[in-house]
Amino acid sequence: MPETTQFAGMGGEDSTDSSLQANTVLQRRYKVLGVLGGGGMGTVYQARDLNFPDVRKLVAVKEMLNPTTDPTLHASTLKTFQREANILATLNHPAIPKIFDFFDQNDRVYLVMEYINGRDLETLLAQTKELPIDKIIEWSIDLCDVVEFLHTQPKPIVFRDMKPSNIMVDQFGKIRLIDFGIAKIFDGGTKKHTMIGTEGYCAPEQYKGDVTVLSDIYSLGATLHHILTRKDPRLEPPFSFAERPIQDFNPAAPDLLIQVVEKALSFEPQNRFQSCVEMKTELENLRYKPVVAVANGATKAAQAGTGSETSFFAGLDSHGTIEPRWKFRAEDEIRCTPASYKEMAFIGSYDTNIYALNITTGAFIWKYPTHGGIASSPVVDQNNRLVLFGSEDKTFYALDYRNGKISWSYTTQDKIRGSARIAPEVDAVFFGSDDGHLYALGAPNGRFLWKYQLGEAVRSRPVVANDLVIVGSETGELFSLGLDGKRKWSYRTKRAVTSSPFVDIDEGICYVGSMDGFLYALDASNGFSSWRFRTNGPIISSPVVEGDLVFVGSADGHLYALNAQTSKEKWKFASDKPIIASPVAYQGAVYFGSTNEYFYCIDINTGKERWKFKTDGPITSTAHITSDTILFGSLDKTLYALPLVGG
Amino acid sequence: MDLFRRLFSQANTKTDSPTPIETKPPTEVVEKKPETVMTNPLSTQPVEIPSMPNIADGITRPLPPETVISSSNEHLLFGQATDVGMVRTNNQDAVFSFVSTSRSATQRPDFGLFVVADGMGGHHDGEKASAITANMVAAYITNHIFLPMLNSDDETERVPITESMIAAVQKANADIITKVPDGGTTLTAVAVIGDLAYIAHVGDSRIYLITKDHIEQITRDHSLVQRYVELNLLTPEEASVHAQKNVLYRALGQSETLEVDALTRRLPPNSKLILCSDGLWNLVTEDEIAEIVSTHSNPQEACDKLVALANTHGGTDNITVIMLKIPAH
Repeated sequence: MPETTQFAGMGGEDSTDSSLQANTVLQRRYKVLGVLGGGGMGTVYQARDLNFPDVRKLVAVKEMLNPTTDPTLHASTLKTFQREANILATLNHPAIPKIFDFFDQNDRVYLVMEYINGRDLETLLAQTKELPIDKIIEWSIDLCDVVEFLHTQPKPIVFRDMKPSNIMVDQFGKIRLIDFGIAKIFDGGTKKHTMIGTEGYCAPEQYKGDVTVLSDIYSLGATLHHILTRKDPRLEPPFSFAERPIQDFNPAAPDLLIQVVEKALSFEPQNRFQSCVEMKTELENLRYKPVVAVANGATKAAQAGTGSETSFFAGLDSHGTIEPRWKFRAEDEIRCTPASYKEMAFIGSYDTNIYALNITTGAFIWKYPTHGGIASSPVVDQNNRLVLFGSEDKTFYALDYRNGKISWSYTTQDKIRGSARIAPEVDAVFFGSDDGHLYALGAPNGRFLWKYQLGEAVRSRPVVANDLVIVGSETGELFSLGLDGKRKWSYRTKRAVTSSPFVDIDEGICYVGSMDGFLYALDASNGFSSWRFRTNGPIISSPVVEGDLVFVGSADGHLYALNAQTSKEKWKFASDKPIIASPVAYQGAVYFGSTNEYFYCIDINTGKERWKFKTDGPITSTAHITSDTILFGSLDKTLYALPLVGG
Repeated sequence: MDLFRRLFSQANTKTDSPTPIETKPPTEVVEKKPETVMTNPLSTQPVEIPSMPNIADGITRPLPPETVISSSNEHLLFGQATDVGMVRTNNQDAVFSFVSTSRSATQRPDFGLFVVADGMGGHHDGEKASAITANMVAAYITNHIFLPMLNSDDETERVPITESMIAAVQKANADIITKVPDGGTTLTAVAVIGDLAYIAHVGDSRIYLITKDHIEQITRDHSLVQRYVELNLLTPEEASVHAQKNVLYRALGQSETLEVDALTRRLPPNSKLILCSDGLWNLVTEDEIAEIVSTHSNPQEACDKLVALANTHGGTDNITVIMLKIPAH
């Protein structure tokens, strides 16, 4: 059974000296116009066939460098190559490019074939955000058809290297299979024997050098999986498709299509489709009953939506929605994060007040009016029995949390929007001001300890860890200071750092988001950055670490869960509006609000929604979670207290 | 690749045509492991490890008394050893170590860079590939991480270290594809800055983190059998004797698209890090590694000892090992 494979090592070779120059004429017939692609084993040129002087007939000319200098070997490789080219020349199928000519010139071998005006699927995936499902089904059917054609030749041909980059979509939207394994014989039969085909798309048995028609079916499944999920299998361990369920990445994919792909991807060859015809028949069911397929998908989505909520809240509420324990309505937006101590909850509002409420009932206890909106989150200092916060009236306040009486205050040069951090070990409080300074004050009495000039407004909440105070600035820098206010290190991002740093004490890693869209991981002791992870929108949300995962929200609307050691994405959850609030990880779930007005509870391991709760305004407030209550504010002016369930 | 490795070892045995030489194996080896020596056909060959005459004794030494070092002067220590083994005629492994330690007002953390690359491919392609890789990665990381560290006034934006590590490996990969199209190599590199290890890894060379009573493999083998183990198709024991145990699904020199594992680990005080090629871990168990590492305070002695033990167990492949000793602070 002749087997085919593709050029080994396409691309990557930048040595232009071996390439043909434009206007070179081969065989007095093919005038090179330019390079279509190229790499290690040779180059593919676009050329014009001069035998048609009156029309512009374009052809693709593949050039293969012959790497062996041994004359006997050279002759034999050439012969095998020729034989294989002959086989291909006899293949007559609309999805297989026509072969026109084959010759040897200047120690190089050339294959002249049909020029396909189009893009390969890998390029198409990179250039599009979404491909229509019915188009993918069409292509799948056509791919089954052409592979079946190869498999049913008198001497069956195993394509062996099905993958998006070997599939072209021509100007008519039809698929064409390219890169038949002309180059196989040039592999020299050495190391490629263990890696025939392309890693990621290869069937398990192919790794053992054991290739059958069923291996093509696996690779076809792998290719479809890649197209549907947009997750490149070459970047994942082999045979890990089941770890990336299609429905997680492409909710539009009909169940039946998913089942077809999953069957093709069976680990054991005998569990796959036993022929491409079988697979094609299944896919055709999808094509001819599009209404049913769509209905299935819709029903499934609807069921999933209600199913998770009702099962989760079974016995809680007959309507399957979560009911707040209580709500507290302020007179203006609530942007900051609530705090609590024992039976009391504290929240600031843009109505200029800080409120103390009973955490169980929501009953009002006291309020303290300032002269500006409160964006800064209150923090509780248990030792000194204080609740501390800043106001846009430029003043930082410390109140007796029992009665709301002022203990001390400190006025800065500009609005205070950043939240404070207490360092009990030194009895100090740290906070930033729009006047560009980070302030350190004695917590019991507000005594000035030091301030540090950070250039621009400081809205990020400082973190204190390992005798360092780390805080972001609107200049884009992250600063680390000693507890004495001396600079230890700084790290510059491209845009403002409004996000508050988080330090994983065990690992000594500091995580922070930036308006430049990246989440950064830095060595907290010296500021060397370990990695950064790009999201598609500014990060204002503050990261949090739980176990080996780090979570952060982005203005691109996603909440991300990343492996803290490797920065690899474990899952992401899409809300349809920016996520400004910071996630809170608690007992197997992640809680956060979105500016789409919903508050979410997400499974920490799967990234699946457990429940959501609708408010009447965007949520920028981060949740505060106690043993039985979730507190968060919304721009609808309301502080919500939800029961903590299902943790 | 396994075919290649196998082909290669067969070729070696042929050319070597081992004639029994009446050289007594080192006596201590016989005393220590008589069965191994008796059943091992390679034991008739001389054990030639000239660089370490007193170390290839296969015995475990008592812990020498720890010298008390002033903690402020304690720094990263390393040992490094590589050996062709008992079967092959050439060493396709490449190894690189570099440590910088300084004390000044700038409080620069210690920097260490360690690279193990296990080449594969005939016609010397394997050793070329591993050599190119080790040099390329070392040069890139020196230029992009170490030298900027020395110029601490340099306020330009600093690229995250793992990104530079990955870029170094990608560059080496592109280089191999161009320069040694039939060669390939594994690559396991670690840059240590202070007590944080930044790791880049492709293939089946390994890194172990050894603490007081625990040894942990912190890299993941990109081998087919490891994948089978992860999928519960093989037990680790079955994997260690599997016919395909040398087949890698990821290596440098395979394709332009190369996914590099990158991870960051905090190294606890007094912990040790072992980087090694499969020539070590195929023949020396994790327990043996942990034992030798924890009983030798001198990292070089431990490395020599580990190589000697792999050779005692057959030395079927090239053996490379680097050991790092993290200060107590």
